[in-house]
Amino acid sequence: MTNPVIQVEGLRCSYGDFEAVRGVDFEVAQGELFGLLGTNGAGKTTTLEAVEGLRKATRGTVRVLGSDPLADRRAIRPRIGIMLQDSGFPGDLTVAEMVAFGQSISSRTSDAATAIEALDLAHRRDVRIKQLSGGERRRLDLLLATLGRPEVLFLDEPTTGLDPESRQHVWEVVRGLLAEGTTVVLTTHYLEEAESLAERIAIMHEGRIAVAGRVSDVLARQPARIGFDVPAGFDVSVLPMLYGDVVHEPSGRVEVRTGELQRDLGELLDWARGDGRVLTGLRANHASLEDVFHAVRSDEKVMSR
Amino acid sequence: MILALSRTELTLLLRNKTAASLALAMPLLIGALLMVNGPSGWTFIIVLQLVMMLGFTVYMTVTTSLVGRRQDLYLKRLRTGEASDQVVIVGLLVPTIVLGFVQAVVLLGMSTIAGAPLPERPLLLLLAVAGGAAMCCAVGVATSGITSTPELAQITTAPFFFALFGGAIWTLVSDSVDYRMMLVPGGQVAELVKAAWGGPTDNVGLAVVSLVVWVAIGAALAVRHFRWEPRS
Repeated sequence: MTNPVIQVEGLRCSYGDFEAVRGVDFEVAQGELFGLLGTNGAGKTTTLEAVEGLRKATRGTVRVLGSDPLADRRAIRPRIGIMLQDSGFPGDLTVAEMVAFGQSISSRTSDAATAIEALDLAHRRDVRIKQLSGGERRRLDLLLATLGRPEVLFLDEPTTGLDPESRQHVWEVVRGLLAEGTTVVLTTHYLEEAESLAERIAIMHEGRIAVAGRVSDVLARQPARIGFDVPAGFDVSVLPMLYGDVVHEPSGRVEVRTGELQRDLGELLDWARGDGRVLTGLRANHASLEDVFHAVRSDEKVMSR
Repeated sequence: MILALSRTELTLLLRNKTAASLALAMPLLIGALLMVNGPSGWTFIIVLQLVMMLGFTVYMTVTTSLVGRRQDLYLKRLRTGEASDQVVIVGLLVPTIVLGFVQAVVLLGMSTIAGAPLPERPLLLLLAVAGGAAMCCAVGVATSGITSTPELAQITTAPFFFALFGGAIWTLVSDSVDYRMMLVPGGQVAELVKAAWGGPTDNVGLAVVSLVVWVAIGAALAVRHFRWEPRS
């Protein structure tokens, strides 16, 4: 990677005796969105806090825009935006007052009215923050982190607890920033969020990166799925020879997990036509990140046995 | 940046009715009552008024508001911005200090109108107010670190709060003031105020040293115990 904006090497972070991050490496290029995924407690937030310069690494190195985010905090902070997973507001300020305050403690110039409009908070601008809904607070949070368009933006679970409409809104704002060249690091446990926004992802599990790469590559490594309903008493041995694994689920559905989606699907459709069968509930799809997620977790279970 | 932080903090203090009445109304009210019932001479009244201001307006407000801001995860937010940790803390303390000074001026004004003499050594008065405020700020920041909720602040602030009053009264009622009273917070403030109104100046040096030491103790404890986010 030429001139990565973020470089993390051998990062380790401990809380007392507990090591939350156990050797993490990744790089993020200028202008890309890097997704850090994982279950709760996988170490995503701790990793992000170390990269943001909010937490000291026990070992390893972190470079953001070429500098150490902790030691060179004064130089780096004006260039980055941080949206924490849980961060609060003084509830007695109004939305407009909070935005004005955010501007006054930032060296970046920004237009408050446009920012408020972009996150659909214009009708709430004179409402005290304690009266906002969870989704509105989260949008205000994003607004403050993105004021004045930072060069690098850190988003820790930006859409957790949001309704689908608000989530779309947040995605649009993030896409807009990406289009203008902002580099984004995002953690999420919504897989569709990573699928829809991220170019590259890393899936963390128990303090390490279990899987990493371009979203399409990560997905291609997992078998695709074909599924259809079968009547009671169906005998799977009547199926044609398939490349993938066939599972007859008790719910009366056959699930095929295959690395050869096109071939196996063709075989199945030929067989159904020849037999005069209608495959109800037929679905064929590539692996989802959810599958990758489950694979990561079941690998871990196998290894710990 | 400090100014922006302070302005917002002042807005928040004034919008919170409990905090505002504790910080503003209480010392003024009690200060006024003291003057009405004050049989013990002006020095006594003025010392109690100033100690009241230091205890309620500075010490308790600093502790309670820092704990509240931390509880609201507002401190955590401020830490993600451009301001350094020190700037954030100072920015949040300034409004309380200003309120304390304004109150001192109002209380002294009220006393003067009611017939109190002007201080003979105003510099010592200034030293008592400024040093006392610095001490209360430092110890307040430290106290906020060991206080998990704003409600608990009523308990955790009690020891220093009573030491402040106890020290002041001990110094006021003692015929011969010695080093023991000077070591208690409040004792040195009282001695400086007494000296400002023409009292003996033998203990002024010790009182100033004691104030400096208390500020240092408070600052050291603050560095050690201050927390940016609630215990999870």
